[in-house]
Amino acid sequence: MFKLEPRQDASLWTSLRSILIALAITAVVSVLVMVVMSDKPAEAIWQLLSFPWQGRRMEVQFGLVAQQTAYLAIIAIGLSVGFKANVWNIGAEGQFAIGSVGAYLGYLILGSPEGAWALPLILLAGVIGGCLWALIPAALRVTSNTNELLTSLMLVYVASHLLTYLCIGPWKGDPKAGQAETFPMPESIRPETLINGTEFHTGLIILFVAFIVLAAILLFTLLGFRLRVAQHTPRAERFAGFSPDNTVWLSFLISGATAGLAGAVYLTAETGKLIQAENYLENFGFAAIVIAFLGRLHPIGILLAAFLISYVNVGASYVQASLGVDDSVADLIEVTALFAFLSTAMLDQYRVRWHTGSAKTSQAMS
Amino acid sequence: MTDATQQPLIETRAICKSFGKVKANQDIDFRVLPSQIHALLGENGAGKSTLMKIIGGLQQPDNGKILWKGKPVSITSPKVARAMGIGMVHQHFALFEGLSVAENIAFSIDGAVQGKVLNKRILEIADRFGLEVEPQRPVFELSAGERQRIEILRALLLNPELLILDEPTSVLTPQEADQLFVTVRKLASEGHGIVFISHKLKEVKALCDAATILRGGAVVGTCDPETTSAESIAELMLGSRDIVAVRKEREVGTARLSINNLNLQSDDQTLRINALELFGGEVFGVAGVAGNGQELLFAALSGETRSKQPHSIIIDGMPVGNLGPNQRREHQAMFIPEERLGHAAVPHMDLTDNALLTNLSNPAATRYGVVSKKFLLEETNQIIDRFDVRHGGINRAAKNLSGGNLQKFVVGREMNKSPAILIVNQPTWGVDALSAVKIREALMALAANGSAILVISQDLDELLEISDRLAVLHHGDLGHARPVHEWTVEALGLAMTGSSTTEHVA
Repeated sequence: MFKLEPRQDASLWTSLRSILIALAITAVVSVLVMVVMSDKPAEAIWQLLSFPWQGRRMEVQFGLVAQQTAYLAIIAIGLSVGFKANVWNIGAEGQFAIGSVGAYLGYLILGSPEGAWALPLILLAGVIGGCLWALIPAALRVTSNTNELLTSLMLVYVASHLLTYLCIGPWKGDPKAGQAETFPMPESIRPETLINGTEFHTGLIILFVAFIVLAAILLFTLLGFRLRVAQHTPRAERFAGFSPDNTVWLSFLISGATAGLAGAVYLTAETGKLIQAENYLENFGFAAIVIAFLGRLHPIGILLAAFLISYVNVGASYVQASLGVDDSVADLIEVTALFAFLSTAMLDQYRVRWHTGSAKTSQAMS
Repeated sequence: MTDATQQPLIETRAICKSFGKVKANQDIDFRVLPSQIHALLGENGAGKSTLMKIIGGLQQPDNGKILWKGKPVSITSPKVARAMGIGMVHQHFALFEGLSVAENIAFSIDGAVQGKVLNKRILEIADRFGLEVEPQRPVFELSAGERQRIEILRALLLNPELLILDEPTSVLTPQEADQLFVTVRKLASEGHGIVFISHKLKEVKALCDAATILRGGAVVGTCDPETTSAESIAELMLGSRDIVAVRKEREVGTARLSINNLNLQSDDQTLRINALELFGGEVFGVAGVAGNGQELLFAALSGETRSKQPHSIIIDGMPVGNLGPNQRREHQAMFIPEERLGHAAVPHMDLTDNALLTNLSNPAATRYGVVSKKFLLEETNQIIDRFDVRHGGINRAAKNLSGGNLQKFVVGREMNKSPAILIVNQPTWGVDALSAVKIREALMALAANGSAILVISQDLDELLEISDRLAVLHHGDLGHARPVHEWTVEALGLAMTGSSTTEHVA
């Protein structure tokens, strides 16, 4: 019979070890999945691992990975703020959409400018949009104690319908386009591509810088400290002079801002125009929830998790193209990783013991 | 009754148990005879709880034997322990507030007996041992003493032959404690063996007929507490150390804290204080049974619960009634809550981070919002040195410290800031005797330097030892404050149970 015993010696090493165990479990299950899904599993696995060096240009593949990593990481670190403090914003997808809408609105308010000077203001408008959208569940939670899980999630659907409405209604662009969309922004104000033919653009740099700034704030400042206090102990939080209500406001504000920024960068860099929701949103806001937990709500972990998942995603598309293995394999690997990481997290704090009837013959498993 | 030839009810031989490098129990020999009230004494961390958890089946020994009525047994789970006839009454009650007494009891015996039959049995046993209960009353209405009776009742319903009482009097009024002693004696006279864990030597001397003393995980002696002096028992417990805190005469200065017409209401408590002044150089004691408004009084003073009127609380001339904890800390008022884990300290954070918890308004702790690790390290090391906090490394989480050491850390954290006003709730609750003495001495030394100190405590001996003035909190009303020498323990006990108004005491 299994038994859990609290560890007296929990340390960085025990954490690291449980992460390694989780990676090993993920690897084994991924191999099994490949064996089932592919005729040539060995080759498929090899290509999944080494795809950037398989095609013609390595930087193109890494560009795709970096692009996904940036969006996932910035949204996930924003969400981790709230998750740490027991504030559950799962509506980043909606805040992302309204971030894009806010950015486009900013562009319109500025009078559809053509100069690159407008980009920072447009991004700022996106941040504000994401924040305002996130403040709705925050206000409901603080004033009427509604469950922010439900309200933030429901607002995702409101946001995506709003996006679609704007595309078919007030901001309708070219009527001959195959989808509902707005008129595009001029190339001159969009983030520049850094390496020709790749997805590396200045927008990604903005996202990574924002990530680093927020990570530093969380690791080294009072704000980060405050959130760690709020995580498990509301009484200690109040004793330290922090108001729990303000923690709710702050968490939503930060996660709304990061999702809004991601939405604004996405609009300006990737599409240049708003498109009806189902063709525009790529689920970054939901995927980021998984990334936040895979990264154990720690900035470095989040960055690594975002990179790994993006790598697998892009790799799976490559394998689909080259060997015809369905790219849903990426989803399976991601889900496996999530299960493995969540289930091994308790190994940090507990050890598993195997009892065989008598008390003396217990043996440590890990 | 306790002759040596008798077969012991339970006997442990050379029990060993280690946690990592810490040896919690080392070669422990411990025996309890039928009809014996056996005291288990020792500082916190001496190994009492570990030994009792082993006997109760909650933990397995690394080595050694347990004999039950002379036969070797292995107690693999609490269920096995209960089936053998070992009952345990824990220090912290595990009761469902919303359920009735009978329902709570039904839960704990897995519903073996229910409904009218259960009510009847409860009343039978209650009657037999003088435990007054009303089976249908909901638990949230009950006092600590009544709740404890439920815990004892549910242990007794299983007909235990050995009953373990873990610090049973820590939350009781003197009257309630006396009542408990009657019950315990009755149990012993019917052949039950009793293990009585306590810090209070007076009780042990009055009640127990054998004692085993632990220190550092090993047995350092056994004695008959009735005939052995309290001093020599204390010496066994603590080693040859001085446990008498020296009372110094203190000069009383000017008013540093005043409370005027403070009326507050929380979910389950009310607080009404018309007027109270605290002077520099004095220790002011607030006595009272748990649940009479202590939490709210502490929260009102710390700023965790704010009043609308700024002038309801005045610190050194500054109205602070409507201000939060950090703004009050800026006026050199510091606070030490009762609950160490989760209130005074964050269990999962290490000691340096916990040092920051009440230093947020300290300009040295942060610069432009960035936390100064260097300052925190210095501060933490100072606290650890000054208060002899034993820890396994300052990067270990607070929850890994023993209760006494964490309390020393929490007290030291506030003391190190040389507060002008210090509010303490239960300064030595669940703390070993030596740490308790250190903490009390530090409190008195602080008062001697001109600070005003308010101590909320349920330990009367403690309050009588360190306070200059004392008042009783009952149902949210703070009674008249009187110099300590005008009070007697009996008068306090009566005031605490509301059996007499303060006028009668005068």
